[in-house]
Amino acid sequence: MRETARQLLREREVGLVIGYAAGSEAYWVTPAFIKEEAQADRLVWNPFCVNSLAKYLINYHHEPYKVAVVVKGCDSRALVRLLQDNQVQREKVVVIGIPCLGVVDAKAAALKIAPGTRILGASVTDGEFLLQTESGTLSLPRGEALCAKCRYCENPTPVLADTLLAEEVAAEPAANIYAEVREVESWPREKRSAFWDGHFQRCLRCYACRNICPACTCRECVFDQTDPCWVAKAHNLSENTAFHLIRAMHVAGRCVDCGECERACPVNIPLRLLNQKVIKDIKELFGVSTPGSRLDEMPALGMFATEDPDEFN
Amino acid sequence: MKRIGVFVCWCGTNIGGVVDVPQVAKAASSFPGVVLATDYKYMCSEPGQELIVQAIREHRLTRVVVAACTPRLHENTFRKTLERAGLNPYLLEIANIREQCAWAHQKQPGRATEKAISLVRRAVAKASRLEPLFASTIPVTRKALVIGGGIAGMQAALDIADAGHQVILVEREPTIGGKMAMLDKTFPTLDCSACICTPKMVAVAQHPSITLYTYAEVEKVEGYVGNFEVTIRQKARSVDHTKCTGCGTCWEKCPTRVPSEFEQGLGTRKAIYVSFPQAVPNKPVIDRRHCRYFAAGKCRVCEKVCPTGAIDYQQGDQLIKEKVGAIVMATGYDLFEWEKVYGEYGYGRYPNVITSLQFERLINASGPTGGKILRPSDGKEPQSVVFVKCVGSRDPAKGKEYCSRICCMYTAKHAHQVLEKLPGARVYVFYMDVRTAGKAYEEFYLRTLQDGAHYIRGRVSKIYPEGDRLIVRGVDTLLGRQVEVGADLVVLATAVVPSRGAAELARLVGISCDQNDFYTEAHPKLRPVEANTAGIFLAGACQGPKDIPDTVAQASAAAAKVCALFSREEMAAEPTVAQVNQFLCYGCLECQKVCPYRAIEPVTVSENAAGKKIERTVASVNSGLCQGCGACTVACKPGAINLKGFSNEQVLAEVDALCL
Ligand SMILES: Cc1cc2nc3c(=O)[nH]c(=O)nc-3n(C[C@H](O)[C@H](O)[C@H](O)COP(=O)(O)OP(=O)(O)OC[C@H]3O[C@@H](n4cnc5c(N)ncnc54)[C@H](O)[C@@H]3O)c2cc1C
Ligand code: SF4
Ligand code: SF4
Ligand code: SF4
Ligand code: SF4
Ligand code: SF4
Repeated sequence: MRETARQLLREREVGLVIGYAAGSEAYWVTPAFIKEEAQADRLVWNPFCVNSLAKYLINYHHEPYKVAVVVKGCDSRALVRLLQDNQVQREKVVVIGIPCLGVVDAKAAALKIAPGTRILGASVTDGEFLLQTESGTLSLPRGEALCAKCRYCENPTPVLADTLLAEEVAAEPAANIYAEVREVESWPREKRSAFWDGHFQRCLRCYACRNICPACTCRECVFDQTDPCWVAKAHNLSENTAFHLIRAMHVAGRCVDCGECERACPVNIPLRLLNQKVIKDIKELFGVSTPGSRLDEMPALGMFATEDPDEFN
Repeated sequence: MKRIGVFVCWCGTNIGGVVDVPQVAKAASSFPGVVLATDYKYMCSEPGQELIVQAIREHRLTRVVVAACTPRLHENTFRKTLERAGLNPYLLEIANIREQCAWAHQKQPGRATEKAISLVRRAVAKASRLEPLFASTIPVTRKALVIGGGIAGMQAALDIADAGHQVILVEREPTIGGKMAMLDKTFPTLDCSACICTPKMVAVAQHPSITLYTYAEVEKVEGYVGNFEVTIRQKARSVDHTKCTGCGTCWEKCPTRVPSEFEQGLGTRKAIYVSFPQAVPNKPVIDRRHCRYFAAGKCRVCEKVCPTGAIDYQQGDQLIKEKVGAIVMATGYDLFEWEKVYGEYGYGRYPNVITSLQFERLINASGPTGGKILRPSDGKEPQSVVFVKCVGSRDPAKGKEYCSRICCMYTAKHAHQVLEKLPGARVYVFYMDVRTAGKAYEEFYLRTLQDGAHYIRGRVSKIYPEGDRLIVRGVDTLLGRQVEVGADLVVLATAVVPSRGAAELARLVGISCDQNDFYTEAHPKLRPVEANTAGIFLAGACQGPKDIPDTVAQASAAAAKVCALFSREEMAAEPTVAQVNQFLCYGCLECQKVCPYRAIEPVTVSENAAGKKIERTVASVNSGLCQGCGACTVACKPGAINLKGFSNEQVLAEVDALCL
């Protein structure tokens, strides 16, 4: 990765490389914006590289130079989202793709070790996850440590890349991908309603979920507008619910299931469950793939065709 | 502060019989902004409208709510009323308390009154946010494009041209005339088709206001009503028509024979050919697929014999751009490909099972047999002819659900022709029904019966060869028994389907098709010759199966609509169109993809951001193309698009008024 970055910068192929750098703790990485060849050594890649870097591209949309970005499989879908929404121009991006065995849910992993133990590093193989700590190396079954989204990853290899940094990783058949959604669907209405009320009630309306979302790139989001006032600023269940439903509908058919919203949420609202419900329904209704998996497949709800079924006739 | 007047209509007992109208008016008088609320027996009547005009003046009203019937009926009436009183006509809001209230809830008058009050509250909330709108005008190019040169296209072109406008007629075959030129005689009068069709073809060619492009197709259509820009592809004819005199030496000497489309495969033509002797234009084209020179690089006989040096093997396709104000679709029909599905009739393997159109060629004096009815297998005169109707029509399982309308009549015609030409021959017609709704049609059919045609009611289940004849097995449902008839010739009345490529053309032009790919009219009863896109009209069998009289009538109707559009240099455009707030727009262009009328295009705007000049893409609505459907407004996530007269603010105010 460092070598690729150096080369791109050296040959003036790009003006900037966006990648991961070590954070203040080993289980923590931070986005790195590398403009000079010498800085490329800061770049790292490890199972804690959970966050998606794709959305940073929009900040460089108007720069004269090209930008290189490091993407995992799921992040590449986010990139497709940005491309399809005309927020990024393909010619101005160099995509450094990393075929990925899954990233680690640091919170879940931390529960497996004694409180206060420092994590020093980690690695993932096909079957297991190794966590190096002050008190030795701990081996966990891979499934237990992975982020939820990685358990049924549809695109371990980026769907779009200019260079791949490793051998392609094949997707495992993901029959149960919507098991959780089906479970909630099976509940009686009152239970579902109470479940979501309980979560929406807790929402802080901090909009972290929106800010991180690659499908949310509007110049002025409806939730920030005052005239018309789509959703009142009051913090109560009714307005919170309106917020959540509008958010879900605005990303309907467009959400690439990157899981970033749920990760960013400070109060653990199961946003991915809501998104997956919509993804599943749209897949069933329109026979499309997960949004972002194909650059040539535009969002199902963003098209008009005369052959569209018209049930009102 | 807005001064709103509310006018509640009784509509006689239509509304007043269910809803407590005075109470609705009373409740309305307390809504915010309402300075006057009153009721009247018939608001739309002259005195009713006068009441509104007077009230506007007296109470200095600035917004008007009429609670009455559906806006579809009288919105325009009341807009004119406002205009007469000096108000902008778009400061009107209608509350539909008839169709959506009184009629729907006749059994619950109390709750109907409650609902009517809510509907008026909604209308008042919207009215207080209405803004005046002004119709813009768009220029009209007074030149029409007609696509398809069958009888429909020719008639429309002649009518428009006779009214003094320029017409461009595009026909994809080497000649105009369409199916009518192939027919022998026409029901119910039995006059010779060529005798009435060819003079029209000549009239089209000679009309000073008609530009004819044959062997050409429409490749692209851009723009909108009054201002279309079309690209026409003139396919390479390989013959320079400015030099060619149509002498015919080339096709006489051309060594290649191929089945003739015009003769429906019953005769042949050369590789350089005119479709038939009366073709217009009467100059040949080279069919490059079959020409020896194009296929094998050797021959060039036509070039050698042509006295004027007109052959041009190098000729390429030519693209021609034309600006037109209106488009008439007249692409006609084809026959259903029965060979693909009717295995029980032999999948087209028996030479003596032919289609009705082939029969027209067989019986035509200028056809391959010189007008003698001879069966294709051995050229013998048939002694027994069986006609099978509804092949592919009224057969949802294998063909089309609809009735093709013309087959009953032309089959009666064919049966009559056989009996006339082959005295002593037996004629059987298998039918499901005989449908003869038309002037002098039933009389025509009865005459065929008197001539001696045997009509057998029932479907044919199998046709199979026996010796050199065919056996047609079916059921006679009237007698309730199986019948078998020996036949020398079987004629299938195959279903009428849209001409090949009709659906793609519709997409290209921007109109819609029904499930069978016939072009859809804007309203099945009230706007039968308009497509659902403004400025595009329909003529002939492309809109649905039709005989010649109906085709001609529709073509003339379409021409009349075109002439009405061309009667002015400019036309008023509805102001209720979408508008993009370019500040909010982030250029995702989802709106462009959902717009059924292709009214949205990206444009680049530049702005200053942190001292730097940047360029970005935003959406822009072409108000000439926009039909105000609102699809884009719901696709736009940041709410950057507003439909004038139905803006986000207005709609939200309505929702609040109803729900809060
Ligand atoms: C066997 C038979 C017998 C009939 N007998 C009678 C009768 O006796 N009396 C009667 O009233 N009616 C009769 N009809 C019906 C009659 O043929 C039709 O009513 C009439 O031909 C319809 O005319 P049209 O111009 O709409 O279509 P068409 O005649 O089909 O003409 C359409 C034209 O458009 C052209 N075209 C198609 N697509 C394109 C394109 N994309 N670009 C450019 N050009 C295109 C075609 O080449 C064609 O020239 C009969 C029909 C059949 C099948
Ligand atoms: S809604 Fe959440 S999962 Fe979907 S694209 Fe946005 S951040 Fe990713
Ligand atoms: S990140 Fe969580 S708390 Fe913040 S607005 Fe989104 S759902 Fe609510
Ligand atoms: S021989 Fe020449 S002039 Fe005569 S018809 Fe053929 S191309 Fe035309
Ligand atoms: S949908 Fe809205 S934001 Fe997107 S291009 Fe259209 S107007 Fe702009
Ligand atoms: S209102 Fe309808 S026709 Fe007009 S621009 Fe929007 S989608 Fe297109």
